[in-house]
This record gives sequence, structure tokens and C-alpha cells, in this order.
Amino acid sequence: MSSFLFGLTIAVANAAWSAKIEQNKKEKLDKLMTGLIYNAKTFEIVLENLEVPYQRGKTTATNVYKALDSAGQCVGFSFVASGPGFADKIELVVATDGGFEHILGYNVLSCSETPGFGDKIKTDYYRSQFSGPPAESFTVVKTGDSKLIDNQIVAISGATVSSAAVVKIFNTYIEQIKKQLQTKGLIK
Amino acid sequence: MANTQNVNYAKAFTAGIWQENPTFRLLIGMCPPLAVTTAVKPALTMGLSVIFVLVCSNLVVSLMRNLLKPHLRIIMFTLTIATFVTIADLFLKAFQPEMSEVLGPYVPLIIVNCIIIFRAEVCASKSGMLVSILDGFGMGIGFTIALCILAGIREVLATGCLVGLRVMPDGFVPWAAMQMPVGAFVTLGLLLGLSSLLTAKKAS
Repeated sequence: MSSFLFGLTIAVANAAWSAKIEQNKKEKLDKLMTGLIYNAKTFEIVLENLEVPYQRGKTTATNVYKALDSAGQCVGFSFVASGPGFADKIELVVATDGGFEHILGYNVLSCSETPGFGDKIKTDYYRSQFSGPPAESFTVVKTGDSKLIDNQIVAISGATVSSAAVVKIFNTYIEQIKKQLQTKGLIK
Repeated sequence: MANTQNVNYAKAFTAGIWQENPTFRLLIGMCPPLAVTTAVKPALTMGLSVIFVLVCSNLVVSLMRNLLKPHLRIIMFTLTIATFVTIADLFLKAFQPEMSEVLGPYVPLIIVNCIIIFRAEVCASKSGMLVSILDGFGMGIGFTIALCILAGIREVLATGCLVGLRVMPDGFVPWAAMQMPVGAFVTLGLLLGLSSLLTAKKAS
């Protein structure tokens, strides 16, 4: 009886505020996408509910957005990419250029990685390694020059699992989305 | 004490603020004082969330205290606390998304904050509604004050600002360590020492 009442209370609160929470998420997503593709004015969905592998045997759906400038030209693609991190799910907003040839960068939409360690995936030190490399497969290395923009990503010291999780998310999504955009004739 | 027969309402409220302050006197629920005190705003948000959960869970536990079976009481406390923590978490996500993001997993972690289950067990399950509410408010306010003092010291020394307003002179060099875990431990240790000193002085 009490479980039912407590569950009902949570369900009512969730029903009352879920629309507002979704709106906040959307506003945040728009802000993060615009922050990565500076000359984007509007975003339109080009691939809806694209199924991408999440974990062994599980898939997750994502939308791929095309960024358009004020002249209506495609200036990039953006999507939410998620995967398991050290503590919980990591959600990233990833952006590429208009030809899907280079990564423009990523922003963290949500992550519960260990404060002071894994949550450094939010810092410029780590994120800057994803600003400009080719949109191809990435590998994680423990030592190297983090300022060199290539497909070798230098892991965060003390947070190799979180670093590798980000790279795995990129590898999973980039390949799948590239294939789908090519199939649709949106990129070469 | 709040759970004695001759109830003193004023004492039930004020005990948590100093005499039984959860952070400085009882040393319980020490995760938020160490984790969310880098700035006053998140500390205050956490404090208000804890006040909400404490008051609501104390109220509900007090109302159902006569129906509780001894072997089921901890499960019932946990269910009650989890419900109000989920509501607080949803509320922050809806109306304070920035603070919700800053506090991250620490809001859901209020469920395992021992102040709340401690007050449910020690006070609310043995006292009337009014005493339980006053106890929840007192404990919550005491906890919030402790968080804000810690956060104020750390924010001023780490950034030279308090709630975003510059309070230190221009030549002040920020102490980066105060924003790191070491800053939390050192400040908390010094404040605990100070509170013990004040208590010892008062006793003598």
C-alpha cells in the first residue's frame, strides 16, 4: 500500500515536471550544438531515431541534426552520442563539419563520472583533442602529445576508463552515422 | 531532546542548529560538506534540498509511526526518503537545471545521507508530527548553515569572490587548492577544531 502511494507521488511529480525537464534538455542541446558549430542558425533532423549499439545486445536511438547557416547552407552535423562510462551513462553532443570529414568537437550533455577524475572529460584539456581530427576511428593512448590533433587520444591521468569510454562512443557513432548519411546521399 | 516525553518545541528546533549540529557536533552526513562546498550557491541548494527531504520524511514517518512493524521500519524509512529525494531531484531538474547539473549525483545521494535516516529513527518514529517537523527544520537548517560556512570560506579563498561578488582586494592570489578535495578536508578540519574549542570553552 505504501509502495503504491510513494510510487504514485513520484509519478505525479514526474508527470507535472517532465515537459519542463524535456524543454530544459532541448534548450541545453541547442545551446551545446550552437557552441560547437558557430555559424549554425538552425538545426533540422535528417536521421530520426537512428538505432546505434549501446552495450552488448542493447541499442539506443538518436537523432542526427543538420546545421544550416543563415543562407541555408549545410555547415555541419550534430548528434547526441551516449555510452557506458565508469560510473553511469555518458551523453555527449558531437559535431562534425558539413562533409562529415572532420570532428568539430564535443560537449558533455550529462555525465556522472568521478568528480576530480573522470569528470575531466568536460575540461578543455581533453575536449580540445577532438577539435579538428578526421572523422574516423580513434584510439586511446596513455602517453603522448595531447596538443597534436590526430586520431590518437591521450587519456586523462587517473581516468583511463572515462577517457576510453568517450573514445568508444565516438568510434561507435561516427562509423554508423557516416554510413547512414552516405546511404541517404547527404554526404559523399 | 526531541524524543523525551515532556516535549520542548524550542529545543526540538534549536538542537540541530548548534548543540546537535549534524556536521560540526555529530559528524554525520559528511559527504555533501566535502563534495558540494566549492561555492555557496550549490551548497545552499543542497542544504535546501536536505531541509525539504528531512521535513517531509520526518512528517511521513511520524504519521505512520504507529503502523510500523519493527523489522520493516528501515525499509519504510528508505522508501519514504527515496520518494522525497526523487521529487527534489525532479524539481531541481525542472526549475534549477544549472544547479542540478552542478550538484550532479549528489542530489540522488541524499537518499543515503545518514542524517535523514538517523532523524527518522531517533526522532520521527518516536515523536509527534509537530516535533518531527521542527526537528527536521532544525537539523536541516543546522546542516545548511554548516555547508554555507564551509562553502563561503572555500569560495572566498579559491576565487576571491563570495556568491559571485568580489570581496578580496585586487592583489589577492586565489588558493587553487581550496577548490580541490584537500581544501574541503582542511577547512572542515579547522572548523571542527574551532567548534570543539568553542564547546570546551562554554563547558568550562
